Amino acid sequence: MSFFRDTQHVWTLLLLIFVGGAGLVVIRHQMIPATYGDASGRYGPYRTAALKEIAARPSVLIDDSVCHQCHREVEEERADSQHKSIRCIHCHGLCVEHVDQARQAEKSPGSPIDPAQEWDGNFLTTIDLYSTRDRMMCLSCHKNVLGMPEDFCKINLAEHLEENEVENPTNRNVCWQCHGGHNTEYRELD
Amino acid sequence: MPQTSDDKGHMRESDTAQSRRLFFSKATTIAIGTISLTILPCTLGGAEDEDNAKSSDKDQDLAGPSHEQPLFGFLVDTERCIGTGKCLMACRLENNVPEGFSRTWVERYVHFKDETIQVDTVPETGYAGTEMPVIDADNVKTSYFVPKLCNHCENPPCNQVCPTHASITSPEGVELIDPELCIGCAYCVQACPYGARFINPNTGNADKCTWCYHRLMRGQQPACVEACPTGARVLGRLDDPDSEISKRLAMIPVSVLKEHLGTHPKLRYTELPREVT
Repeated sequence: MSFFRDTQHVWTLLLLIFVGGAGLVVIRHQMIPATYGDASGRYGPYRTAALKEIAARPSVLIDDSVCHQCHREVEEERADSQHKSIRCIHCHGLCVEHVDQARQAEKSPGSPIDPAQEWDGNFLTTIDLYSTRDRMMCLSCHKNVLGMPEDFCKINLAEHLEENEVENPTNRNVCWQCHGGHNTEYRELD
Repeated sequence: MPQTSDDKGHMRESDTAQSRRLFFSKATTIAIGTISLTILPCTLGGAEDEDNAKSSDKDQDLAGPSHEQPLFGFLVDTERCIGTGKCLMACRLENNVPEGFSRTWVERYVHFKDETIQVDTVPETGYAGTEMPVIDADNVKTSYFVPKLCNHCENPPCNQVCPTHASITSPEGVELIDPELCIGCAYCVQACPYGARFINPNTGNADKCTWCYHRLMRGQQPACVEACPTGARVLGRLDDPDSEISKRLAMIPVSVLKEHLGTHPKLRYTELPREVT
């Protein structure tokens, strides 16, 4: 068995390879963050944690369902209206602070809820909650603009007022002489 | 080194040669064996991973659709868009998009009777809030609005060029950007054939429409869908045959933008004239 006489080098080599390999596995395991990659490896090498981080971003825009929790009468009023699909935020501001205040008031009765302000005429206004009868608010959608679908209620204001023989056509709140906001059906209003 | 020569001195010449040859042949065998032993676990591990993938595929099929069958789809009904820009404002506020950039925008196509086409972008205030030159309707053959946003392609060019794997597709089929991995190199901005991406000057990262992933995960509709007064934007589950989007997609002829590029967008449009790209 002269062959096994000088095999000590081989055993040393094997030991080195084994220790090196094991070390590599351990280091790799230590260095790859737990959040890296998809568990099944199907969606490419990316941080799985990123999905949760992106999903955790704050949701700002208020849904109508939130408004209707308190303003049920408006929901009923709009139920059969042409304006059913219009969102509260379109005519009343973003209501972010207003919803915060309302939730606060729900918890501790008596905490103040700021009343709605008058719209400042700016289409990109920063007023949180407003209520307006300004005709420009109506016209922000209904002004006849080239490109609108055929069946949309397009209004050329001057023509429309003349056709309907409106008494004071320069009035800012002229639309409200005949139409409501929540329910737009023709009716005599204040 | 007299000691070494002394140690080997007692060996005969042929014996030494024999043992050296044996040593090399056996050492080579052992070395190859060792190497294959180290490689073998990797291939076995790879096979295991494949098994995992297969089993998770099965799980996915039970729980919901797999990646090949996207969960969310988006339909833009150009026949309903009235171009008021409510969606633009909602998106900017919801996603904190800096001024001068947009995740979504609305184009107006005006086809004149002399076969020319004019395309302009709807201002954020809508046309009612701006003093734009009014186009004489008598010269116009047809005109319509086309809302644009990220197409969330099934075969996204932006993902392919991202050097840091920051551009990712979520299991729900939504294209997202990992803000931690993004280095703002803007390759994806160049790669996107729809111009849906931009570099956000506040963060230095690439930015684009996420279909409001954070709202989707809360069971809400995206901001632009929520803000659309006419229902021109519809987001829903493509895998659910009872969802509104599935029903509407089944009812009407649908087109996608730049179909010839093979990106397979999950953003669908009601039938568009070929001039719209």
